[in-house]
Amino acid sequence: MATEFVTAIKTSEIPVGGVTAIDVRSTRIAVANVGGTYYAFDDECTHEQCSLAEYGELAGTNLTCTCHGSEFDVRTGKVLAPPATVPVKVYPVRVVGDALQIEV
Amino acid sequence: MAPKYVIVGASLAGATAAITLREEGGDGTVTLIGAEHELPYERPPLSKAYLRGDVPFDKALVRPAAFYAEHGIETILGARAKRIDPSTRMVELEDHRQVPFDALLIATGGRNRRVSIPGADLEGIYGLRTVQDADRIRKEIVAGRRVVVVGMGFIGSEVAASLRQKGLDVVAIDPSKTPLFHVLGEAVGQTIADLHRAHGVRTIFEDTVAAFEGTRGVTHVVTKAGLRLECDFVVVGIGIEPAVELLEDSGIHLDNGVVVDEYCQTNVSGVYAAGDVATHSHPIFNRRIRVEHWQNAIKQGAAAARNMLGRCVPYDEIHWFWSDQYDANLQYAGFHTTWEQLIVRGRLDSGSYLACYVNDGRIDAVVGLNRAKDVRRVMPFIKSRRAVDLEELRDEGVDLRSLNASS
Repeated sequence: MATEFVTAIKTSEIPVGGVTAIDVRSTRIAVANVGGTYYAFDDECTHEQCSLAEYGELAGTNLTCTCHGSEFDVRTGKVLAPPATVPVKVYPVRVVGDALQIEV
Repeated sequence: MAPKYVIVGASLAGATAAITLREEGGDGTVTLIGAEHELPYERPPLSKAYLRGDVPFDKALVRPAAFYAEHGIETILGARAKRIDPSTRMVELEDHRQVPFDALLIATGGRNRRVSIPGADLEGIYGLRTVQDADRIRKEIVAGRRVVVVGMGFIGSEVAASLRQKGLDVVAIDPSKTPLFHVLGEAVGQTIADLHRAHGVRTIFEDTVAAFEGTRGVTHVVTKAGLRLECDFVVVGIGIEPAVELLEDSGIHLDNGVVVDEYCQTNVSGVYAAGDVATHSHPIFNRRIRVEHWQNAIKQGAAAARNMLGRCVPYDEIHWFWSDQYDANLQYAGFHTTWEQLIVRGRLDSGSYLACYVNDGRIDAVVGLNRAKDVRRVMPFIKSRRAVDLEELRDEGVDLRSLNASS
């Protein structure tokens, strides 16, 4: 299926330093607000499927899944600390007016 | 000449050290020696997802098989180290091979304590430490079968949960008043007992196993108080002892494991230890601690490797671990043995709480049931050793990240 940018959420609904999960085209996607810059990635931790919006603790662009301590870089999805070994999938985003659009 | 780095123990600590030596070091050979035949793997799944058959063994590997050769890490597996001679800088294996080293890491972990009571040699009595142990238990898992779990520490508690999840009839027995009593205390331990009972485990506390009975395989567990429990098999989880036999007469200081300083180094220059086997001087808690958890294996393995490379970085990690039982996520961080106050956020009987072990107004340790984020947020206060406002700590309305703390 071809990807396209889909309006997912209003930027004002994601607090600075917060992570919010939304369903976009039947995919559960988490969006992090890092000082006004937004990053989108799969909500499910690649270790044991904890919700990153629910359990994720953001420090800068580092997201710790507090369930078991895995750390990811929200910009790239790269694993920064185990137990996760598989990167989390990231999605391109853009802001149009007050809407956050995610390419899925 | 390029230095020879040798690691005895192809464990999580040992493998992490090897990887760190490669990723952060320069030249030098790295040799990883392991008594088990498998490539280094993580043990947490053995009592949980792997035991239940939910994940394959490959998922537990520290790195894929090809990684070691690709990164120039020599692995010698299925080879137990027999003796270490610091004067000649040599590791002798049981098959008499000699492996010379310039810097050595001891990451031999521990071995299970065994019960020495009548019937302990019967078939169907298992410990759990290795993947082979887990495989033996897995063969016994059939819904409706009866198991007695001896010991309700972390391994016993997790095994009891996993076996209940597989539909077995579980009886758990422990000499203390509650599960995890020695770590968490009675009030918190009681919540774990409640968790197991709510999931249908029959719990027996303040009683111990006196004998196992059976002709060939175990059929009954007899307790000191006189209970006689019918069973199809038994899992014993009563703790480990550090595996230090190979160091006897080596001159390396042993006391509840291999004694190391805050740089993970033993009294012998160039010889280090990490993981379950190491009793380390903790610069924040100002005492010696030996930790048998996953995070310590990784972090201390890496720290030891950096010090083997001459970096002089003290190891001051705040110890942390999780224990998933049923759908509950239990986490602990810090270090405590006694406490003046137990400050509870939320209610202990609610299935979601945070409990802080406090001395002199400072949080020494925290335990959380289904409070993963809160545990994380308390950790900086444990590390800083600052006294915190205990009323705020207790108050769910106060964000833990902005707790008032003394300067």
